[in-house]
Amino acid sequence: MGEGWPVMGTTLLVGTTFGVVARQSGLEPVEIIAMSLLVFAGASQFAMVQLFSQAAPTPVVIASVLFINLRHLLMATSLRPQLQRLSVGRRLFAAFFLTDESFAMGTGHFRRGGRSLAYYFTFAIALFLLWNVATVIGIVVGAAIGDPRRLGVDFAITATFIGIVVLAIRHRADFIIAIVAALVAGALALAGASTVAVITAGALAPLIAVFLRR
Amino acid sequence: MIWIAIVGSALATYLTRSLPLALTVGGRVPPVARRYLEALPVAIIAALVGPAVVAPGGTLTRGSEPLAAALVITVVAWRRSLLAGVIAGVVAVALLRLI
Repeated sequence: MGEGWPVMGTTLLVGTTFGVVARQSGLEPVEIIAMSLLVFAGASQFAMVQLFSQAAPTPVVIASVLFINLRHLLMATSLRPQLQRLSVGRRLFAAFFLTDESFAMGTGHFRRGGRSLAYYFTFAIALFLLWNVATVIGIVVGAAIGDPRRLGVDFAITATFIGIVVLAIRHRADFIIAIVAALVAGALALAGASTVAVITAGALAPLIAVFLRR
Repeated sequence: MIWIAIVGSALATYLTRSLPLALTVGGRVPPVARRYLEALPVAIIAALVGPAVVAPGGTLTRGSEPLAAALVITVVAWRRSLLAGVIAGVVAVALLRLI
């Protein structure tokens, strides 16, 4: 499990950041805690905070989260051979804790020839606990910071998104998709269509991947 | 309304995590769908950035956010660190807004 420390450290930091920005945006502590307990998906939770602050309609929030998380379908599909020997109940339990991080660590373990599912479960559940503890720490810290705009704290979500995108870019197509999505969404928001800007630009830009990389 | 959005988002997220593990039928994801799905997260997150940079809080930016965004891109691309980028961006935007 030793190689998991960097991931756990990052989870703690990002979870704390989430608690801070969610509290700063005006959400109640119980709502923020419910998001980390029930949704348990970093990028989605940050997106929800941003959409709530723009007063986006509920269906738009849910659809945006659904689209952000569609990648889990691929991850769960790829973990199926390893989890196939479990009962359906246990597979559904394992699914709740599936994140980018637990998928990456679990896949690394299986690719090295590991057979034990305890590795996946221990790591995935540890991340869940850590994420929720970090959220509560962030809520406490966030309440102490005061006016978010004065310190630029409101920009922390945007900076986090930019960082996630920069680190995720692997190919030329990723780069083009990210630029197009950001520009189209920005243009739609300026044109007054801010509630549907993200979902429209986010769902259309990936079509570039379908055509660009043969 | 916020609670409906939270519970709805939780169900949507769990659906994406559990569906392939709950179904017992096999079958592979077609390459075209795979490429689209793999590109989705980056696209959606980038789409969240656009409005937040050009129109933070619903009004046209006065320049602080685009400049800070460029700094975040530079710092993260150079240091490969999310935290370094976020700190640089927050400090930059706070200072730029003073001008």
